[in-house]
Amino acid sequence: MTSPSGHRLNPLHLLAAFGTGGLLTLMVHFNGELGRYGNALFSSWAAHGTGTVAALVLLAVLFPWRARNAGVKPRAPLWAYLGGISGAVTVMLTSFAVNSPLALSGTLALGLMGQVVFSIVADRWGLFGLPARRPDRRDLAAMALIVAGSALIILFGRGNA
Amino acid sequence: MTLPILLACLAGVLVGISRQVNGRLSLSTSPLIASFWNHVVGFGALTILGLSIGGLIPAGAADAPWHAYLGGSIGVVFVAAGSWLVARIGAVNTALLVIGGQMVSGVALDLLQGVSAGLLASVLGVALILAGMALTQRRR
Repeated sequence: MTSPSGHRLNPLHLLAAFGTGGLLTLMVHFNGELGRYGNALFSSWAAHGTGTVAALVLLAVLFPWRARNAGVKPRAPLWAYLGGISGAVTVMLTSFAVNSPLALSGTLALGLMGQVVFSIVADRWGLFGLPARRPDRRDLAAMALIVAGSALIILFGRGNA
Repeated sequence: MTLPILLACLAGVLVGISRQVNGRLSLSTSPLIASFWNHVVGFGALTILGLSIGGLIPAGAADAPWHAYLGGSIGVVFVAAGSWLVARIGAVNTALLVIGGQMVSGVALDLLQGVSAGLLASVLGVALILAGMALTQRRR
């Protein structure tokens, strides 16, 4: 089930993804501040705890809307509930790497590489039950530009400061 | 030195796995419910870890300003948005555009805080990222 991504990306999706990156900057900023008062483990633990409460509040507020839109969906496999484990391990690996000779910039650059390689493999074979996608030449060119720009910022721009 | 390099790469892979798995869960539930499970399960795992190695609640935690505790709530929206996006535009597009948004907003945050180290490289990097984004919008 490989679908070529031939048409252009929906601008709404593009803006949503770009804005999500902005949320990540804010999140890293606040969690980093909490980590300086406590430690990396506490910061992540507290963020997951307050996040659980925030998610419950949001779900309660949105419940009337959701109830109207609920349809019959296929059941999720048990492993689909374990994404949080992966996130928790990421925190430990990152805090270890940041305190190694790699420092922040090296950790970010290698993490970027890991993410890009994984996403290519995930799309190619449709890993974890999501649709497979095949990139075209334009997708690859866009990827090269964004990776190059990010690497410049991480290695020679803000990440290096 | 090899171990930190491997673990830093693995951290990036795990970010992708987490988004892919949460994206799959969102197909059967909803992005917000997927984000909820991500946070509950992560909280459980970190609680077990913290209780076994100690130092879960460090002494300085009470001194942190209230806004330092906002990261978790932002994270809920971040994970929900990532789950919603990855099922629609794929892993590569989601990863690259989120990274691009993170880089550009990070440079903006630095400028707002008066940090101007590496400004030339940062501006050039932002230009490349925006060019890459524009390319995804070109009709063929």
